[in-house]
Amino acid sequence: MLWIGLLGIPLVGALVVLLLSERAAKVGAAVVAALEIGVFAALLGGAAPSLNLAWIPAWGVRLHFAADGLALFLLGLTAVMTLVAICASKASYGRAYFFWILFMEFASMGLFGAVDLFLFYIFWEAVLIPIFFLLTGWSGEKGRAAGLKWLIMNLFGSLFMLIGVVAVAVIHNQTTGSLSFEISQLTNLPVSSFAAPWLFGVFALAFAIKAPLWPFHGWMPDAYGEAPAPVTALLAGVLSKAGVFGFLRVMLPIFGAELHAYRTGLMIWVAVSLVYGALMALRQTDMKMVSAYASLSHLSMIALGIFSLTAAGILGATFLMVAHGLMVGSLFLILGVVEERLGGREFNGLMGLNRGAPRLATYFLFFALATLGLPGLPGFAGEYMIMQGLVVHAVGFAVVAGVVLIVAAWYMVRLFQGIMQGRPDHPAVADVNVGQVAWLVPLAILVAVIGVWPAGITGHAVPSLYHAVHFAVAQGGIN
Amino acid sequence: MQYLLPEILVAGSALLGLLAMVVVPKVRGLASWVVLVGFLAAGVDAATMWNVTPSLIVYNSMAIDKYGITVTELVLLAGISTILLAWNAEHFGEEFPVLVALSVLGMMGLGGATSLMPVFLGIELLSLPLYILAASRHTPEGGEAALKYLLLGAFSSGILLFGMALLYGATSTLIFVAYPGIASHAQVWLLWPGLGLVVVGIAFKLAIVPFHMWVPDVYEGSPTPVTNLMAFGTKVGAAIILLRILAFGFYGQAGAWGLLLGYLAVLTMIVGNLLALPQTNLKRLLGYSGIGHAGFLLVGIATHNIQGAQAMMFYLLPYGLAAIGVFAVIRLLEQGQDGDRGVILSDLQGMAYQRPWLATVLIVGMLSFAGIPLTGGFVGKFFLMQAALFANRPGFAVGIVVGTLVGLAAYLRPLQAMFQRDGVSERVRTMRWSAAGVMVVAVAVVGTIGIGVYPAPLVHIVSQSANFYWLKGG
Repeated sequence: MLWIGLLGIPLVGALVVLLLSERAAKVGAAVVAALEIGVFAALLGGAAPSLNLAWIPAWGVRLHFAADGLALFLLGLTAVMTLVAICASKASYGRAYFFWILFMEFASMGLFGAVDLFLFYIFWEAVLIPIFFLLTGWSGEKGRAAGLKWLIMNLFGSLFMLIGVVAVAVIHNQTTGSLSFEISQLTNLPVSSFAAPWLFGVFALAFAIKAPLWPFHGWMPDAYGEAPAPVTALLAGVLSKAGVFGFLRVMLPIFGAELHAYRTGLMIWVAVSLVYGALMALRQTDMKMVSAYASLSHLSMIALGIFSLTAAGILGATFLMVAHGLMVGSLFLILGVVEERLGGREFNGLMGLNRGAPRLATYFLFFALATLGLPGLPGFAGEYMIMQGLVVHAVGFAVVAGVVLIVAAWYMVRLFQGIMQGRPDHPAVADVNVGQVAWLVPLAILVAVIGVWPAGITGHAVPSLYHAVHFAVAQGGIN
Repeated sequence: MQYLLPEILVAGSALLGLLAMVVVPKVRGLASWVVLVGFLAAGVDAATMWNVTPSLIVYNSMAIDKYGITVTELVLLAGISTILLAWNAEHFGEEFPVLVALSVLGMMGLGGATSLMPVFLGIELLSLPLYILAASRHTPEGGEAALKYLLLGAFSSGILLFGMALLYGATSTLIFVAYPGIASHAQVWLLWPGLGLVVVGIAFKLAIVPFHMWVPDVYEGSPTPVTNLMAFGTKVGAAIILLRILAFGFYGQAGAWGLLLGYLAVLTMIVGNLLALPQTNLKRLLGYSGIGHAGFLLVGIATHNIQGAQAMMFYLLPYGLAAIGVFAVIRLLEQGQDGDRGVILSDLQGMAYQRPWLATVLIVGMLSFAGIPLTGGFVGKFFLMQAALFANRPGFAVGIVVGTLVGLAAYLRPLQAMFQRDGVSERVRTMRWSAAGVMVVAVAVVGTIGIGVYPAPLVHIVSQSANFYWLKGG
C-alpha cells in the first residue's frame, strides 16, 4: 500500500498540477511533494514493505519494489530534495515545469525502489525525460543543446546496458528454463569468459555516464550550468546517485565475481576521476562549475568506497550518497540565490557579498563546510568510513583520497572567499528572504542531525548491506 | 465462406460507397460514412473469429488463423485512421474512401495468404489504389509522387512476379506453405533466384535499404492521410507476408537467408535513421524514420525464432500508433494557414506553449519512435532485442542500439523546435481542432502509453497469433 502511495502520489499529483492554473501550480506541487514526505515518514516508521505484482507474465517481469536499507534513505532524499526544489523554484515557470519536477520524483522513486531488472531499466531511462524537457524549455540559451547532449550521452550508455539486461535474463533462462528479471535470482550466472567483460562493461558504462565519473562527464558542465538552480540541485543531489546506486543494486549481486576480479583497475579509474574532479574544481571561475566538479569528485569517492568491496567502504558509500545529495543539492540552491542576486556566475577575485548579505553568507558557509568534510557534519562521517574501508586493503588509494580531501577544503574555501569575502565596493545585494529561509533552515538542521548521528542512517542500512557485502566477499574470497 | 466475412464487409462497403456517390451525389461525405461503418463492422466480425480453429480455405490459398485476424485488425486501424484524417476533406474527391477501402482489402488479403497467388493479388490491390490516392490533391507535387510510386511499384511488382514464376518452376505449386516438404529436393537454380526476387519485390514495399529510394518523395508529395496509410498499412502488409513466406515456406533454409536479412536489417536501421537526421520536412523525416523502422521489423524476421516473429508482430502496433499520432498532428496543422503545404520544423515553433495538448501528442509519438520507456516503442525494441539474443545474434542487438541512437537526434529535433520561445508560428496559431482528428490522436496517445505501461495483453495476443505452426499438419 505504501508503495502505491509513494509512486502514485507524485504521478497523479503531476497530472493534477497540469490541470491547475499557472499561478497555483507551485503551491499544488509543493502540497504533493509534502504529502510524499508524509508517505516516506510512514515508510520509516513501519516495517519495510514491498510491492510484488505480476506485470508481463510471459517474460517473468514483475512490478517488484522494495525499500531495503540501501534504497530507503535515497527515497527520503528524493522526497526532501523535490520539496525543497519546488519551494526554491519561481512560480512563473508554470505548470508544465512542476509537472516535470513531480514526474522526475515519480521516476526517481521507482528507480531507487525497483528490484526487478526490467523495472529498474524502465525507470533508469524514465528519469532522463523530465531533465531533457526541463533543459529544453526552462534553461539558458544553450539549454537546448545541453538537453540533447544529456539525453544522447545517457541513452548511449543505457541502450547498451539494455543489451546487458536482456543478455543476463537470457543466460539465466538457459540454465533454469524460465525468464526472470528479479535481481536476486540473477546471481551466480554461468556467463562465459568471453561475454563476462562485455556485459560487465555495458553496465559499468551506463552507470558511469549517469553519475557521471571521469571520462564520461561530457554532458555534466553543460547540463549543470544551463539548468535552473532547482533542477541542477535535483540533478546533482538525486539523479547523480542513480549511477553509483546502480553499482550497488545491480552490479554487486550480478557481477560480484567480476567486481572482485577487476577491483584494482576499477579503483585506479575512480581514483583518477577523484583527482580530476578536485583539480578541475580548483581552477574554475564559474561558481556553478566549482560545485559541479566537486560533485564529480565526491561521486568518485563514493565509487571508490564501493569498489573497495569492504563492509566499511560500502557502508560509507551508502551513507555518503544520502549526505552528499543533501549537501550538494543545498549548495546548488544557494548558488542559485547568489546567481539571481548577482545576475551572473563568474567570480573573479573577491566580491565581498557578505557585507550586504551576511545571513546568505552564513548558510553558504555551513553547506560549504559540510561538503568539504568538516568533522561533525555528514561529509566527514561518510568519508571516514570509506577511508576505513580503503586502509584495510588499499592504503595507496587511501592516501590519494586523503590528499583529495585537502584539495576539497581548498576549492571550497576558495569558492566561499571568492564570493563572500573581500573588498566591500561591490554593489550591495539583498539578503535571503523569508521564503528562502523557510527551506534553508530545515535543510541545515537535517544536515546537522545526520552529521552528528550518522547511525540513524547506517543502522538501517547495515542489515541489507550485510547481505550484499557478504555476497561480494563470498564471491571474491576477501574478508 | 463465413470466415471471409470481414473481407466481404470491406469490399461491400467499397462498392456501396461507390454506389452512394452515383445514386445520391448531393449527400457529401456519405462514402466516408459507409466505409467507416464497413471497417468497424469488419473489425468487430474479425474479433469474434478469434477462437475459430485455424484452417485453410479456398484450395489451401488462404488461412483463417489468429495471425490473419491480428493483421486484419491492424490494417483496419490504419484504414480507419486514414478515413478520419481525411474527414471533410472534400478536395480529395468523393472516391477517396472507396480507394482506401480497396487498399485495405488488399492488406487484409495478405494477412491470410498462404499461396503466392493471393500474395500477388493482395500486393497489387494494396498498391493500385495508393497510386491514385497519392495524386488526390491534384497538385504537381502529388502527381510527381504518384508517378514515382507507380513506376517503382510496377517495377517491383514485375520483380515479384518473376520471382514467383521461378518458384513455381522449382516447386510446381504456388502454395508456399507446402514448400518445406518440397524445397529440399527442388531445383536449386530456380528456387534461390526465385526466393531472392520475391524478397526483393516485397522489400520495395517494405522500404528496405537499398530499395527505399522512392519513400521520401512519395511520402512528402502525397496527402497526409494517404501517407499515413502507406506508412502504417503498407508496412504491416509487406512485413507480415514476408514473415509468413520466409518463416514458414522456407523454414529449412533459414541458415541461408537469416543472416543475409540480418545484415540488410542492420543496414536499413542505420541508413534510414541516419538519413532522417538532416530532414526539416516532417513528412520526409517520417519517411526516413519509416525506413529505419522497417529495419527493426526485419530483425524480427531475420532472427528466425518464435520470439522474433512475435516481436515483429508486436512492434507493428506501437509503430503504427505513433505514426498515426504524428500524422494526425501534421494533418491538424495543415488545417490552419497554408493548407497542405508541407509542415517543416520551424512551423512547430512555440507549439509547446501555445498548443500544449497538440505538443503532448507529438512528444508521445516521437518518444515512442525513439523507443523511450513507458511508451510502446520501448517494449517493441526490448522484445526484438530479446529475440536477437535468444537467437544468439548479439550483432543484431548492437544494430538495434546503434540504429536507435542514430534515430534519436532526428526524433528530438521536432520536440526541441516546439520549445522555441521566440514567437509562435502562424500555423500553430491558426490550426483548428477537428472531432475526427481528436479521435485519432486520443487513440494514438492512449494506445502508445497503454502498451508501454501494461504490455502484457498485447504480448499474449502476439504470442498466440505468431504461432502458425499448426500449418505444418495441414
